[in-house]
Amino acid sequence: MGRIFSSVIAWDRYAARCANFVLDVTRIAVLGARSAPKRHWRPAKRSAVMSMGGVAWLAFVASLPAIDVAAQTRGARGGTASARADAPIDLTGQWVAIISEDWRWRMITPPKGDIVSIPLSLQGQQSAEAWDPARDEAAGEQCKAYGAPGLMRGPIRMRISWQDDNTLKLETDYGIQTRLLRFGAAAPPGPRSWQGATSAQWIVRGGGGRGAPRYGSLKTITSNLRPGYLRKNGVPYSERALFTEHWDVHSLPNGDKYLVNTNVVEDPVYLQAPFQTAIHYKLERDSSKWDPTPCDARF
Amino acid sequence: MRREILIGRLIGCISLLTVVSGPAFAQVELGGTYAIRMHEDYIERGPGSFLGDFTGMPLSDEGRAKALRYSSSLPSTIERQCLAQSPWVGLYRPLALRIWSEVDESGRVVAWVMAGDYLRDHVRIWMDGRPHPSANAWHSPSGFTTGHWEGDTLVARTTHVKTAWIRRGVGIPGSDQSTFTVFITRRENLLTIMTVQEDPIYLTEPHVVSRVWEFDPRASQGPLRDTCNVGVEIPSLEDTGEVPHYLPGQNPEEDFMVRIYNIPKEAAMGYAQTLYPEYRKTLRSVYKPPESCGRYCCGWIERQGLPGAAPGLTCNDGNLPPALRKTLTATER
Repeated sequence: MGRIFSSVIAWDRYAARCANFVLDVTRIAVLGARSAPKRHWRPAKRSAVMSMGGVAWLAFVASLPAIDVAAQTRGARGGTASARADAPIDLTGQWVAIISEDWRWRMITPPKGDIVSIPLSLQGQQSAEAWDPARDEAAGEQCKAYGAPGLMRGPIRMRISWQDDNTLKLETDYGIQTRLLRFGAAAPPGPRSWQGATSAQWIVRGGGGRGAPRYGSLKTITSNLRPGYLRKNGVPYSERALFTEHWDVHSLPNGDKYLVNTNVVEDPVYLQAPFQTAIHYKLERDSSKWDPTPCDARF
Repeated sequence: MRREILIGRLIGCISLLTVVSGPAFAQVELGGTYAIRMHEDYIERGPGSFLGDFTGMPLSDEGRAKALRYSSSLPSTIERQCLAQSPWVGLYRPLALRIWSEVDESGRVVAWVMAGDYLRDHVRIWMDGRPHPSANAWHSPSGFTTGHWEGDTLVARTTHVKTAWIRRGVGIPGSDQSTFTVFITRRENLLTIMTVQEDPIYLTEPHVVSRVWEFDPRASQGPLRDTCNVGVEIPSLEDTGEVPHYLPGQNPEEDFMVRIYNIPKEAAMGYAQTLYPEYRKTLRSVYKPPESCGRYCCGWIERQGLPGAAPGLTCNDGNLPPALRKTLTATER
């Protein structure tokens, strides 16, 4: 018992000496050489008891990584002035969809009634069965398959850029659409649109004061959508649809970058369960293949 | 001497602070069972691909030629019954996957282990920093995988795989030179896995797949089939040495997608250029949607229960077995 007690005391003293040493070093690093203690660090002669200020300083230093993680997981703006400054990942650039999945449903317009894999409600099936592209054209609604939930799964190239410090702009050549991803305060409610209203939030991990890598993703929620199609052949979503997306950027050792959009479409009218997919895009260094093409209700 | 003591103390202090301050990047708990969501590539993951459907694949000429030699009877030969089970084939399977961690005596995660439907062995992602073995080392059924965390994403790399089929029921080959870079991200209840397969033999560019699973605390999709059982499936083949196959140019399903879906043969045969939006310029002049959906139009409804289907709709008329259709129609009345 006595040995254990002695060990605890020894450990406590060593920890306190360490703390004092770190205090001196960090004070110099943060406050400059003039703040250096006037005495030299002599562990054997220093008190094994820290001052209250020292305890607070040590707690601050020791908890830097934890503070970073905890604060930044709360999301959007952190402590800096803008979402652009806070960005843990770089989404800007031209991205091309790689149609390596569901090719027959994404690259071309499938036949009417081909609703496989989408969890439609009975009402959704009936609506899909009633698809009539001529009617959409006559109504000036040839962009119904180009609303945000359908567009992201389309054969698109998209350019993402900062419109201002708190708004990302997403443009597509397919259908010539523009969506704004707004950080911070919600956009004023307006009329429903194909791209709806998107609120954005960074999810940040890592970083901190020691030069540690910073990671993260973007979460967006889109509402206020005009009714549209999840699939070109009239598989519907309603104006009550909610479109949630998680945006991740991954890099390969050779420098290739991929954007993965994990998304969920919830629609109490036309879906009997959330429609969940992950869509991937590759960053293009060459922007020459950008090819603006207007909405087409048939192809 | 005094300087050495100082350096020693500095190292000791840094070590102490490292311990007390905790990890800078808390890894995500991946453990649990994840239910599949077959909202992508349903036909391939459900009933299985149509023969001759290589859409979305960047195949080399060798890969295409080998895939076209495939016959549905080929997997029944004893030697090939496990070829369908490559390490990341779970992305093309219709059932759940399960993940758990293996820890050392200090509680540190040494490996994440993944079991899924139809794997030949568990995929063990080593997290302890061990290097990949020599290129000449044995290639195991699950390959050799290491991983590290980048934020909330577990980044894994798999090498030392065996020759396998990399998609379901259609004979698309993956060579033992394949490597996989895998990104596994869990956020709340959703798990996203993206695989980037590179294969210098059978692919002309990386093959990228991304999928979503949903955390399933009840493990409601049942036990996983993670072993490969080998047995005689076609008695007439036993001990004959016969290998079911098609000779070049003689696969009767080579033009299946052309016949059924009006898809140009080039697109059905898996050329890399068909994966990108600009290929639509080629398609626009040659593609005409078929009059009717054809097969498996309503996969979700077929699997998720009959109440979804209703009289008068294509799904009900075209896919439900006649007996069930009759019952359902009577119920609706």
